[in-house]
Amino acid sequence: MLKIKVKKGHNINIAGVASREILAPQKNDSVSLSPENFRYIKPKLLVKENDVVKLGDPIFFDKLCPEVKWPAIASGKISKIVYGERRSIKEIIFNVDTSLESEHSSSQQKKLYNTRGEFDTTNKDDVVNYLLEKNMWPFITQRPFNKVANPSDNPKSIIVSLANTAPLSVDYNFTLSSNKDTIVSALANLKKLTAGKLFVAVNPGEFDYLSDLDFVDVIQVEGPHPAGNVGVVLNHISPINSKDVVWTVQGHHLPILGKLFSDGLFDPSITINLSGPAVNDPSYFKSRIGASLESYCKGNVSSNQVRIISGDVLTGKQSTMNGYLGFYHSSISVIEESFDRSFIGWFHPGGSSRYSVFNAYLGSNKAPYKFTTLQNGSHRAFVPIGAWEKVFPMNIYINALLRSIEANDFEEMEQLGIYECDEEDVALCSFVCPSKTDVGEIIRKGLDTIYFDQ
Amino acid sequence: MNFLKKILAESGKLFEEGKPLSWAFPIWEATDTIFFSTEKQTDSGPHIRDNMDIKRTMFFVVIALIPCYLFGAYNIGYLHSAATGVSSSVVSDFILGMSYVTPILITTFVAGAICELSFAVIRKHEVNEGFLVTCALIPLTMPPDIPLWQLFIGTCFGIIIGKEIFGGVGTNVFNPALTARAFIYFAFPTKISGDKVWAVGPDGYSGATALSIPANPTTDIIAKLNEKDLGITAANLFDNTTQFDFSTLNLFWGLIPGSIGETNKLLILLGAIFLIYCGIASWRIMVSSVLGLVLTAGLFNLLADHSTNAMLTITPLQHILIGSFLFGTVFMASEPVTSTHTNKGRWIYGFMIGVLTVIIRSVNPAYPEGVMLAILIMNMFAPLIDYYVIKSNINMRLLRNA
Repeated sequence: MLKIKVKKGHNINIAGVASREILAPQKNDSVSLSPENFRYIKPKLLVKENDVVKLGDPIFFDKLCPEVKWPAIASGKISKIVYGERRSIKEIIFNVDTSLESEHSSSQQKKLYNTRGEFDTTNKDDVVNYLLEKNMWPFITQRPFNKVANPSDNPKSIIVSLANTAPLSVDYNFTLSSNKDTIVSALANLKKLTAGKLFVAVNPGEFDYLSDLDFVDVIQVEGPHPAGNVGVVLNHISPINSKDVVWTVQGHHLPILGKLFSDGLFDPSITINLSGPAVNDPSYFKSRIGASLESYCKGNVSSNQVRIISGDVLTGKQSTMNGYLGFYHSSISVIEESFDRSFIGWFHPGGSSRYSVFNAYLGSNKAPYKFTTLQNGSHRAFVPIGAWEKVFPMNIYINALLRSIEANDFEEMEQLGIYECDEEDVALCSFVCPSKTDVGEIIRKGLDTIYFDQ
Repeated sequence: MNFLKKILAESGKLFEEGKPLSWAFPIWEATDTIFFSTEKQTDSGPHIRDNMDIKRTMFFVVIALIPCYLFGAYNIGYLHSAATGVSSSVVSDFILGMSYVTPILITTFVAGAICELSFAVIRKHEVNEGFLVTCALIPLTMPPDIPLWQLFIGTCFGIIIGKEIFGGVGTNVFNPALTARAFIYFAFPTKISGDKVWAVGPDGYSGATALSIPANPTTDIIAKLNEKDLGITAANLFDNTTQFDFSTLNLFWGLIPGSIGETNKLLILLGAIFLIYCGIASWRIMVSSVLGLVLTAGLFNLLADHSTNAMLTITPLQHILIGSFLFGTVFMASEPVTSTHTNKGRWIYGFMIGVLTVIIRSVNPAYPEGVMLAILIMNMFAPLIDYYVIKSNINMRLLRNA
């Protein structure tokens, strides 16, 4: 087992941590699959409104890579397809019919293996074809670019992080504690996809059984966020060079893939948490991919003026009461929309009403802090007082990298390691930046420029 | 409070896009947020943000400078009393000092505000509170009786040439406060160098700084020292030259002639600790520049026997305490934009400032105040240092790709 100790970073002491009990599923009458959750794809629909589909049926495919199809994440009627500007597909909404979900046709039940003992009879192509045939490929994403992987690539390695360090994110050691068999099944098959290593990042003392598996390289990560991010772990153990591709799977998707490999069935259930300072009773829920946010948030948020976020507070996507959980997300965070303007705020002595990574307020940061949507300062020209470097644990000169992106210097972006970062890895840099620069946005701009230039 | 908030909100409408005063929006934005922190929400990226912002960052630097102002004012009064021989109280000394400091302060801020605000309007960039720090630094580097018109021109030069023509805060090469000082130093040398200007007293009163004594020992003093059979060393020159107490202890306490803010080392050190604790200034630059200074001064001490230059006999500790080395390294060298941006680079940058300070002070006695030029020179080299530090990171990556 390899151990990584990350020193730079910061665990944000935010209020509203979910209590450790898993509540029964809320009503999930409708779920949504949004093509906007997937980067750089050109979706083409295979269904129409009012079609009745079954779990796992193909819903749309990517015109740029037609073999990749997206699955129906529920059985039932497609109640609505929401279009955006220029007929872009924003959302495909399913009316969940639970009675239909319990039926499984024989074709759906086709398994990759009958028992776990037969792993060695398959190779990469078998697993890839199986996932494509089952329309489950979108669960496999890649670095760089953080997009759905290209099935024809040969990934240098595969990495899964079971160490969720982001603020208020789900604790996999808690939510996946009873999924040992499916996790092992998923990992065993994911290993087939690469000639390289399969890395699994864990917190110390968690998922002990993984170290007994000879096909898994367990990486123990210790330290504050973003220590558990796959990008940060890779930067420490096996950095992504130009032309490298590394595949990754969300931790909470492992049981889904495991079940798919061993039973042939697509079960879209995941355990999510609803948390944040504006939630009355933060807790965990049994839920499913693309669940409606309303059924969890209604009546459980502190006021009308809240921001509901699909995902965590650093990298999640702003949504509304009528929105849905993103495809890759496993948490709902709610914070208050504040318009409070404190009198001569820059002069404020401190106390429990302030939170800063700097020692700039007396007696701040002690109690879990009720963050709001306030930017806490106006945007200013960037002054490099070393704030980003405090919370960015990668061997990358982030300041220089950002300059090269702003200068549109492709060569230098590559040389400074843009392939190794993703927005989520620099989210804390934006959080601490006194100039209120959105570092992630600039990184994304750089990645986009390079991606579209290829 | 609500009344004020309402007035600001109403007046803000005049500055919106398409309205007659929209050109002045940056000025209104900066003023509005002085009274009430911005109500701006996060839109993209992290939905939550740290409470630290540039306003508070810059405000903290200004706080760190305030003790230097207070002591500087007192010191002016104290030296004046010493020169005239009239006994006085601490309070009257302070008041006399403030009568010199206040016009200097006002002139600098007026000049600074005019330049910064007009560039914000013309260039359509945000008003950066950094100019407040620049304006707070400039008076502290001035002699007490600097003519105000010179100060005004110098400040404008510093902010425009040192900062704005490069694109404003964040993209400037030279520290604007030091650029202002350098401009005044070279444009009006009689008012900011020599030994007549550093203490306020009767006409022709000599207030030589500790630095200028070993730099240009007068024939009288040399004769005096020879008489006493003492060597021409810095320590002996300090003891025998003027009416001022240049003992190590007093160099530290700062009741000596000099620029307004540079003399009291205790307050400068407290400022340094405060800024480092808050995470605003780089301790690496401060530590490495002291290191560079001590090593170079030590080396020069070894060479002192082979030279008649008394500057070579100044011990490392004296080098730290005389002149504005500490003030420069704490408040000027560690200025984040014009220093190096990488941690490795900060070590090199600071170290070279220390080295250059001693070299400029000792080798060329025409410029006894070396730290100003040392920092400006290293400002110029900072991007180059960063370039090589970053290059090593690039090379590491290229090697991995190969």
